Formats: sequence, C-alpha cells, structure tokens
Amino acid sequence: MFLAAKEMHRGKVKFALLLVAVSLLVFLILVQQALSRALVTSFIGAIENQSAPVLVYATDALRAPQGSVITPPMEELVTASPEVAEAGRIGILSVTFPTSALAEGEELSAVVWGYEEEALGAPADLSAGAYPAAAGEAVGTAGDFELGETLAFEGPGGDTVTFDVVGLAEDSQLAVQPTLFVDYADFEDAALAANPTAMAVLPSLMAVAPATTEAALISDLRAASVDLDPLTRADAASEFPGAGQVEQSFLIILGLYGFVVPLVTGLFFLIITFQKTRALTLLRAVGARSGVLVRALLWQVAFILGGGIAVGVGLYALTSLVEIGQLTIVFDWGMVAFWTALLGVLGVLSALASIRRVLAIDPVEATTGGGH
Amino acid sequence: MRLALRELRRQPGRFAVATVTLTLIAILLMFLGGLLDGLLQSATGAYRAQPGQLIVYSDTANDTLAGSRIDGDLRVQVEDAVGGAGVVGGIGELTLGARVDGGDERELESVALRGYEIAPAGLPDAAPALREVWADPDLAETYEAGQTLLLGPGRSEVTVAGFLDDSATPSLGGLWASLDTWRAVLAESRPGSAMGEETVQGLVVVLEDEAAAADVAAAIDGANPTRTLTIDDAVLAIPGVEAQNSTFGQIIGVTLAIALVVVALFFALLTVERLSLYAVLKAMGAKTRTIFAGVVVQALAVTLIAAAIGVAMTIGAGQSIPAGSLPFAVEPARLAISVGFMALAAVVGSAFSLRRVARIDPAEAIGGN
Amino acid sequence: MSKDGFALQMQGVRKVYPMADQEVVALDGIEMDVAEDEIVALVGPSGSGKTTLCTIAGGILTPTDGRVRVGGEDITDYSAKKLTEFRRTRVGFVFQAVNLVPFLTARENLLVVDELGPTGRSRSDARRRADQLLEELGLADRANNLPGQLSGGQKQRVAIGRALMNSPELVMFDEPTSALDSKLGDQVVHLIRDEMKQRGTSAIIVTHDERITHYADRTVHITDGRITDHEYAAAAVG
Repeated sequence: MFLAAKEMHRGKVKFALLLVAVSLLVFLILVQQALSRALVTSFIGAIENQSAPVLVYATDALRAPQGSVITPPMEELVTASPEVAEAGRIGILSVTFPTSALAEGEELSAVVWGYEEEALGAPADLSAGAYPAAAGEAVGTAGDFELGETLAFEGPGGDTVTFDVVGLAEDSQLAVQPTLFVDYADFEDAALAANPTAMAVLPSLMAVAPATTEAALISDLRAASVDLDPLTRADAASEFPGAGQVEQSFLIILGLYGFVVPLVTGLFFLIITFQKTRALTLLRAVGARSGVLVRALLWQVAFILGGGIAVGVGLYALTSLVEIGQLTIVFDWGMVAFWTALLGVLGVLSALASIRRVLAIDPVEATTGGGH
Repeated sequence: MRLALRELRRQPGRFAVATVTLTLIAILLMFLGGLLDGLLQSATGAYRAQPGQLIVYSDTANDTLAGSRIDGDLRVQVEDAVGGAGVVGGIGELTLGARVDGGDERELESVALRGYEIAPAGLPDAAPALREVWADPDLAETYEAGQTLLLGPGRSEVTVAGFLDDSATPSLGGLWASLDTWRAVLAESRPGSAMGEETVQGLVVVLEDEAAAADVAAAIDGANPTRTLTIDDAVLAIPGVEAQNSTFGQIIGVTLAIALVVVALFFALLTVERLSLYAVLKAMGAKTRTIFAGVVVQALAVTLIAAAIGVAMTIGAGQSIPAGSLPFAVEPARLAISVGFMALAAVVGSAFSLRRVARIDPAEAIGGN
Repeated sequence: MSKDGFALQMQGVRKVYPMADQEVVALDGIEMDVAEDEIVALVGPSGSGKTTLCTIAGGILTPTDGRVRVGGEDITDYSAKKLTEFRRTRVGFVFQAVNLVPFLTARENLLVVDELGPTGRSRSDARRRADQLLEELGLADRANNLPGQLSGGQKQRVAIGRALMNSPELVMFDEPTSALDSKLGDQVVHLIRDEMKQRGTSAIIVTHDERITHYADRTVHITDGRITDHEYAAAAVG
C-alpha cells in the first residue's frame, strides 16, 4: 500500500487523468442507461403503467395507439369473444390547452386518454390524489400538471371542455406528451368539441381482461378478424413505434462504452508497469516479494476503479437532481450495483497482463542489465 | 516536426495503445452520430424534402401537420399575404399501413402518404395521376414498381409508379401522391377526418428571395390564424426530435471529453518514456516549443488515424445495417464535425504534456543515468 | 573564431544550489581557460562538480557568480532562449547515455540539429556536411542504419559526428569510453583526438579513464567544486 501510494503521489497527473477518464466513462454509462429508460418511458409510460392486461389495436394502426380506430363491427367482435372476461373502450385524443398551471403562460399540447373502467385502462398507480369520481375529473401525468388545477380547452365550434386534476400518476406519458386520464364520457365530449363535424366518436383501443389466459385471448381475437391486433401490455409497450429501436441503440452503445473502461485501465497499468521495470527489478533484487509488488499494483487498480466509480456515481446522482430538457433521470441503485460489479471485475481482469509482467520479473536482471 | 512524424513511422508500436483506444472512442462517437441522424431522419426526412422555406399550419395545430387544417378561404388569405414574394402549395400527410394486393393481410408496412402540389426534392414536377404514388427509396426493398398497394383500413388501392433516387431525397418511408389521391385515401380510411376539396393540412411557401422568409412569415401570421415556421423550426417542433437531439448531443459531448482525457493520458505516459530523449534534444539546442509541437503533431496524427478508421467503420456500418432494423444514417457533415472535434480534443489533450516537457532540464542529459 | 585564442574562459565561476535550509556549492571559484585546439581531460570523484562545470561551459546552466566566455562570446547573462540557440550553433555534446535518437538513421542523427531550429544553412548544405562527416568517421556505408543496427563503437562515432555538425568551438565529452571494452575504448580515444586536432576544435572530456588523460593536452583535477591541479601532458602523443 505504501509503494502504491508513493507511486501515485509521484505521478499525480497521470493517475489523476486516468481517474477522470474512468469517472467520465462510468458517469456516461449510468446516465445513458437512465436516459434511455427515461426516453422510452416518456414514449410508452401510459401503456406500460396502465391497468389493462391486454390492449386491442386496429391492425392498420401498426401498433401506434394514436393512429388506431376501433369500428363498431370490430368492437362487437371483441366483446363477443368467449375468451374476453371484461372489455372497455379507450379513446385517445390530442388537444391543445391555452395554458396550464406549470406551463407558465405557454400553450400546452396534451393527450386525453379516456377509459371506461379503472381496471381497464386507468393508470395502475397514483402518486397523489385520487381517481376521477365525477364528470370532468382527471388524473394527470406528474410533473406536467398540478393537483387541483383546472384546464379548459375550446374547440373550433366554440364548445368548451374543462378538466379538474384530482390525481397524479408517475411515468404515464404517451408519446412524450403530458397525458390526462379521464372517464370515457368526458373523452367523448372532448372529441366532439375538437371536431364538431364528426359524425361519431370512435374508440382508439379496446382494453380487455382475459377469461382464461392472455395467450388464449390473443389467439382467439386474432383468429376472429384480420383487423384486430391484440397485444399484452408489455408487448404493446415494447412494440410502440420507435421505442424498441431507441432502447436497442442505447444497449449497443452501452456495451461499447462498458468495454472502453477495462481497455483504458488495463492498458494504462500495462504501460506504467513496463516503464518501471527497472525500478521493480531493483526492488525484487533487494528482496521484495512478488506478492508485495502485485498487491501494490492491485491497490492502485482498486483505487482507480473505486475512485472512478464513486465519482461517476456521484455525478450521476447529481444529474438525477436536474432535469435534462423534458426528461428526468432516475437514480437507480440496482443499476449502480450492476455496473459497479461488472466494471470492477473487468477492471481487475484487465490488470492481469500487468500482473503477469510483474511476476515475470527476474531479480538477476538488476545486476547484469543497467546503463547502456 | 519531421522528427515527430519520423518517430511515428519508425516506432508505430509505441503509439499502438493510444491509437487503438482512440479508434474505439471514434467509432463510438460516430456511431452515436449515425444513430442520432438515423432517428432524426426517419422523423424529419419528409419535411426536409419539402420545397421552399416556410411551412404554414393552422394556429390550433400545435405545430404538427396532423393537427392542422387549412381550408380554401384561409389559403386564399395566406396567398394574399405572400403576394408576389413566392408561390404557395398545399400538403397533407397520413400515416397508415400498406398491404400488397393479394398478400398476407397481417403483413403491414407503416407508410406515410404525402399529398403535394409543388414537387419536393426528387419528384417530377407534375403531380402523379390519381391513385398513383412515387415511393421513397427505402421502400424499394419491400415493394416493386407497378405493384398495387392497399392502404389503411379502407384498403385504398394505389399503384407504385416508381421509386425516388436515394441521393435525391432525404425522405423515408413515404408514398408521394397528388392532393386528390391523399384526400381520397383519407376519406376512405379516416372518414371522421375527411377534408373538403380545397382543404389541406398545411402549406409550403416557396420564396423568390430566401432572405425574405422572416418578413413573409410575419405577414402571413399577422393577418391570419396561422403559425408559419421555417422548415428547420418545423422539424424541431416534431415531438421527440428536440429531446433526442439534446440527449444525444450531451452524450456526444461527454464522449469527446473522454477522448480528450484519453489523449492527455496516453501522451503523458509517452512523454515520460521519452524524457531522456527530450533532455538530449534540449541540450543540443532544441526549444521547448519545438519539442512540444512534435508532441502535438503526434497526438493529432494518432487521433486522425483513429478518426479515419472510425469514419470507415461507420460508413461500413451504414451499408451493412439492414434498413428498418436500426435507425442509422451516415451524414458527411456530422462525420466531418466529429473528426474536427476529435482533432481539437487531441490538441487540447496533448497540452497536458506541455508542463512536463517545459520542465525537462537539459542538464539531465549529461552525467549518465 | 575566438578573438584572443581561447575556446573557453571561466573566471571566478561559482554555482550554488539552494536546498531546504542549506546551500550546496557545486562549483567554488573556478578559473579555467581552454585554448583553441586544446584537449582537456577533467578528472575527479563523484560529486566533485565536473558535470556541473561542463553544463555551464556548454551553456546548459548559468553560473551563480563569475563569467563564462565561449569562443569570445560572453554567455554568462544569456536568457534561456539565447542559450538554446547558442547550444545549437556553437557547442557540441557527446553524452554518456542515450546518445542517439533510436528511431533515426545515422545520417538523420547528424541532421537532427538542423531539424531543431535555424542553423543558418540550407538543408542541402547540412546534408552535404553530414555525409562528409560520416565519410571521415568511416561510417559512409552505415549512413542509413538505425542505432540498433550499429556497434558500440559505431554509435559513439555517430555521436561524435553529430557533435561536430555545427563546427563548434568546443565539444563536451561525458565519459565517452565508460561503456566500451578496452579495445573499442582505445579506438574511440584515438578518434576523438584525431578529429579534434584535425579540425582545431577544443574539447573537454569528463573521464575516469587514464588512457584519455594520456591523450589529452592537459588534465584538470577537480574536487569539491574546486580545481586542485592542472597537469600538462609531457609530450603530444600521436
């Protein structure tokens, strides 16, 4: 430990640079993973965190909920299926509010999500307040709306629709938009106000609870009509257009970054081990055991990795306190634990080459070599 | 400087470590850029293909085509506001699933049906005939010229007249058609949103004088319930684009910082290895400046080699990634910028060795080990 | 060329290093003149100050007190920048260790001085001179070899060639034979003497090697920073 510390003290700049490099890499890895999660959640939160186990889309919608329309014949097929225990409509509408409590005078574009039963399409959990009980009440996505605020929008025909936010839900946006969860009847009012010339308001999706199993339900509905595209909640979330691709891209990048850490660390220690070959040979010649020298090396590796990870995690924690644009990064201990373990192991493995070099030093060289 | 380059050529092994690590970082950097551009392109390609400088939405639209609606009367008013400064053309867009006539009913490709009046990039001036479409280059992998496609829940029939050239358009996943075709398909697939004969979703404005864009936009919005944006602003308004841009931008920024630190680190190590050589050179009359310039040149050379490999691999990745599996686009401008920033990182990173080089005492060259 | 026939003149030169709460006197009142064309062997135990004397004579360090003139040029008060230029153009060094740049050929090692800054001659002139020196040193056929491909004696000759490239007033040799076996050491000693005498270049050779003291015109003994003795050679050895 003495040797390790002394050497690091003498070579402050280079060890500091390595520490900075590792810290930045760890920070980047953690933040990237959190960001990719946040980005994906902002697309699919509404789907992922709502209560219905199965959602039925129109096949033509290509799994984009806002593009899906369920016609009356399609709805009949769904409700008539023996595998369906309960079914409810879900209506999705984009509206623009002149302003909201948190929008500070700016317009707010939002999604209105109407559901018929709480267990079929409402957010599964609330972070504050309660579910809508009366007409005009809504649950809003946390961070976009304030509990107790009232929002009003006026359609082109002059009809006004208001919503009172009585509850808040986390991670429930749809397609990166603030989302209001309302009773289906309120959704219908809003849809008519937004499009006065429309002859009828059709639901976007059907929310369904299976009578037996989800798999049986899905295969029954698929067989019933080519126009029905039933998906489990999880599949609906992962199949949301674009979301899967974003997540996949990030995973590839994360892997590569993860690889850079042991590469830089391992190569650094290999180089400095070569550079101090003479000094190491001398130490061995005067009686230092190999084990001592290897331990000194490992102390340094531990210091760099431990320090780098600590700083990286600290920066990550700090970043999670700030908002990056529209996304909030969540501090995830599980992720921290995973990467600490992985990078720690990889880092030590990367030092193997250096360890081998140290063990290969022959103290005899101190006498025959020296000076050219 | 020649000394520095000669060392690179004659002792490349010494620089291998730094080069390998920087290459990996360069690949990461450019891959990130490619992913960002891929994501952006699929979202924004159609907008960038539009002719002209401005897009006009109705002011209730929240800056998206989907929510916008401009009827005949409003259009006339917009045209008045534009006056002789340019021409105005209608546009409309509809995203739906396309099936091949006679094929599997569940095999759907997401396409964007785009109606136009003024031909966007890559399209012939005359709008296609009714029910005829021109397809974007990436759709050539899925469809053939002359094929009949069934669009949307209404199973609207359209025929593929041909495909646009890759180099002619940035647009992806689109079928370009006349406004009449678009309206017909809209009515068949989304009866609730059907639009009248003169109604469009948005207007593009092609100006005689590009510099007049701001004034014309102000004139249009001043007199009408519209929102007029430049194409660049319209692109930024697409949901998700801004978020992706800033997110990736920050990651790329931190990666560059890492590149800088890696250069600084490995060249600091290299400097340590060459202290005695530098002492000798200084004793022989080399200025600190000369020696340091050599270090910078080497750092630049190593970084540029790494960047070149990064560019090559990114272009390779762009060719080999099957379309549709992963959003990935290789933009020469972004590659050039990445290389430029890496070079900057190299120069700044090598500055960390400056102090050490300056401190080398030529007297150390004399007096043995 | 010096005005008054001296390659080096050191008057009252002192070099003092401050260290913690003491001072270390490396050189204490050195008076030494080296005539043009004279070869001086500088002998003394470790820590006697012989290396310090060379670094000051060569314009690498500045003295704390006293004056230093090389080839008539007073370099005592030169700034670091001027000293750098001075070293490049007026003196030569042959170091004990790390003599040659390992990734440059023999010829390139000679040319390296011209690469480091302006020497007042064109590249082609420099190349001509390098080739001439290599020829004179018997290395014409080794011009394109790297140091790794040269023997110990050949490397030493390249180093001497490099020191002579800028036709210096004075060349400083630091233990030139310490790493060589006796036969090679002999050759190098002869070579040094021949080359220096042929060009009329003065040399200061720091050494323990008695053979050199035999070949030198004068042996200067230095102990604890002071010159204790000058020994003149009995007769010129051919």
